Amino acid sequence: MTATLDKIVHPDVDYQEKTKHRKIGIGLGVAGLLLGMAVAVLGVVAGNLVGNPGDEQTVAQLKAVAFGLNTTALLLLKTGIAVVLLGILVRIWIRVDSVRQSLAVLKPDAEVGTIRTGPIDTEYGAATVTATAPERMTLHRMATTMWAPMAVMGVMAVLGGLVVSWVWAGNVGTRTGLGAAAWTQGLQFLGEGFILSSIAFLLASILSALREGGGEVQQALGISVVTLQMPATAKAFVALMMMGLMVEVVQFGLYVYITTFDDLARYTLWSSWLGPFRELGLGLLLAGIVLALATIANALGFQFNRIRDIVVAGK
Amino acid sequence: MTATTHGFDVETSEVAFDEILPQKAGTALWAPAFVMALAGFTAGIVLHVVKATAVADGDAVRAVTLGNLGTASMFFGFTMVFTAIAFAIARILGAFRVGGSGVQASLGSGVKVLQMPTVGKAFIGLMAMGMMIILAGVVGHVVVATQVNSGSMSLLQAEQWDWWLEAARRFGVQVYLFSILLGLATIIYVVRFQTIRIRELAQIA
Repeated sequence: MTATLDKIVHPDVDYQEKTKHRKIGIGLGVAGLLLGMAVAVLGVVAGNLVGNPGDEQTVAQLKAVAFGLNTTALLLLKTGIAVVLLGILVRIWIRVDSVRQSLAVLKPDAEVGTIRTGPIDTEYGAATVTATAPERMTLHRMATTMWAPMAVMGVMAVLGGLVVSWVWAGNVGTRTGLGAAAWTQGLQFLGEGFILSSIAFLLASILSALREGGGEVQQALGISVVTLQMPATAKAFVALMMMGLMVEVVQFGLYVYITTFDDLARYTLWSSWLGPFRELGLGLLLAGIVLALATIANALGFQFNRIRDIVVAGK
Repeated sequence: MTATTHGFDVETSEVAFDEILPQKAGTALWAPAFVMALAGFTAGIVLHVVKATAVADGDAVRAVTLGNLGTASMFFGFTMVFTAIAFAIARILGAFRVGGSGVQASLGSGVKVLQMPTVGKAFIGLMAMGMMIILAGVVGHVVVATQVNSGSMSLLQAEQWDWWLEAARRFGVQVYLFSILLGLATIIYVVRFQTIRIRELAQIA
């Protein structure tokens, strides 16, 4: 699997060539947006039917169908985002090759002397100077292999939930319908959690590429290798992501648990807080993604600064 | 000055460029938006837990009131977290613009930066649209909560509004996610340009 993923991230393309990730990602996003529009129309129709005698069954069925389709629309959009992030990752590695070759020409000749290794402070945070490129961190190793299985599991769970939502719609007001409602919500939000985790892992893979690629370029030029240490935002990103994913796994377990309830009042009570609880999980994952992006911005600022040092001073 | 190079519309200069306004806003505001998101999620989950006690007590009016307030808080949190993501993307685009132009300026061979591409403009426009739609839903939930609590709106009407507001919220979230997708797609465009540009600089040298 690692070899396959490596081929996806390092395709054999010319640096000027356009890759298809952008078009595929935007296409998936447009599909998600169109499906979302259809779901919004269903919601408006259902709202108009509320209170009409004899339409209770239709409203309940619309609720089931709209829920399943809405989460599928979100899946399409998030999958589009994941594809675009994959495109960024591919481009970052192409950029590493280009920067390595170009800096070899642009770097002025300078006496490097003995490399003084150890920690240093930079305007972008604490960094470490080494003679060779640092090894890939465990977290980065995990991210570069986990984004794909997470995406596959996410797609499977959301689409599985979509099928169960049709069982829910066909059995409203029955025990089977209540069970299907719980399975739909639990399964689809577990899938959303997985797909957001895949996005988070892709962001971590981008950070890994920036760190590893930066190190490779500096080592190839025979100069001291300066690498940023893991900043607080990156540590908080990992913590928030793990918390969010755990909430999604727990909510799934609890939704499965409430399918065993015989008492409707107890089922309703648990459902009343499980809904916001599963949303909290997504919120934590998204908050982690914010910090990952902020960390990428900082790492880029640091890299451009380092490139400037190299082309000006040659070391 | 503007020009076209390798199929990209660019601005040219002899000195490094600064961030443009949306990038400056992104750099300054991603962190406050992030904090507000966490505050919204916390308030939302607390309100929903209190709502669950009203559900357990069979107090429907209190449950609907707190439920609407909880949803408003939760989706305020989502608006802010999407805003923080969009601002962080703008900050990344700013890092490419300032960093890329800084490297070119230090080489003294002319600075070229991309003009804002169409996807970048759509990113900003859709971000504003998504934010407005979700925030309108948030305000709607607060209004429903107030009306139900004061007795000027029936529970049936509240249920009806819940459907309409949910439709708006859901669509707003989808528009916001699409804008984020476009923001990220802009990064691919920028990295490709910079990769071509640094090769060009090496060829000139």
